Amino acid sequence: MFDRRADLKTIRRCKLGEEDAFQEILARYRAPIYNLCWRMTRNDEDARDLAQEIFIKTFTLLDRFDEQFAFSSWLFRIATNHCIDHLRRHRLRFLSVERDGGGDDEEAEMQIAAVGPEPDVELERREALERLEEVIGELPPHYRVITLLRHDQQLSYEEIAESLRLPLGTVKARIHRARNMIQQLLAARKYDI
Amino acid sequence: MNDQHSGKFPHLDCAECERRLQDYLDGGLAKPESMQIFLHVRECARCAAELKRLEDLVALLEALPAHEPPRDFDARVLAAVPYASYRAMARLRRARVPVFLEADRLPAWIRSPAVRYGGLAAAAVAAAAAVTDLAPAGVLAIAAVGLVPEAATLLQGLGRRVALAVGQPRNGA
Ligand SMILES: [Zn+2]
Repeated sequence: MFDRRADLKTIRRCKLGEEDAFQEILARYRAPIYNLCWRMTRNDEDARDLAQEIFIKTFTLLDRFDEQFAFSSWLFRIATNHCIDHLRRHRLRFLSVERDGGGDDEEAEMQIAAVGPEPDVELERREALERLEEVIGELPPHYRVITLLRHDQQLSYEEIAESLRLPLGTVKARIHRARNMIQQLLAARKYDI
Repeated sequence: MNDQHSGKFPHLDCAECERRLQDYLDGGLAKPESMQIFLHVRECARCAAELKRLEDLVALLEALPAHEPPRDFDARVLAAVPYASYRAMARLRRARVPVFLEADRLPAWIRSPAVRYGGLAAAAVAAAAAVTDLAPAGVLAIAAVGLVPEAATLLQGLGRRVALAVGQPRNGA
């Protein structure tokens, strides 16, 4: 998915202090990292802060990057750890935001439904995606991140194993488990996908 | 769970099918195993429904809408990059070996084995001739020129090793 050779070339230029090279890395990874952070926090502000911190951390630690691994794996590893740390630190606040946010979401959904002369299929699909996002937000952080790396970032099992430094079997088992949990959560809310 | 189909497919009951369904979905099964699932699912409505649910879930997961990072996202990141220290470190890294000791400072043709060994051979022949019949100075000059490529390569290599040993130790990743 990510071009390992091109990344390595750019990173070597970063290490020479070339400003363009940092911009290139941002252009390649800004969206994936931001999206990962958004889905981990479900909040624009937190996603922006986390994603920026992840890049700052990455860009100041480049001398520790081991070139035998893919840069993308290293970056996703830093991102994963950073997001999970953040969720741990803010667990209480996070839970209360989730609870408060529930009503607003429903209202917003109803407004959209009232305004839009959208075709039923399209609307149903969008609602399904919204429910799915909501349910993903309820997975334990480790399961959430691994699901996102696989299905949102489309990393292979091998790339995930390299990123998270986990055995391939563990990666598979966690992704399978996460999918089962998502189905159970959807079923528990009587959501049908 | 429900094994009502285990008679028809002795190798695979529903519980076993369900256990392997995710691997099947990911394309992670060997051909015969994958075939077993394929056949079981074709006959068993319950497992087929389970597979369909999983497929729909994966399709939906991969269709999650993207969220746009704010326009001014890069500014804060780029402002925090320690360009100066990277440039300083790059200079240090380069300074570890003086420029004339960099491997590619010698023209490639001097380093090529053909030139080096050819030169050595020419030098040896000329030296032999000089020893046997006290040849004119020209023959000795040929011997000297023949030795040049090998000597240059050897000296540079030696110099690099000394410079690296004296300079700071190689830093790991
Ligand atoms: Zn079955």
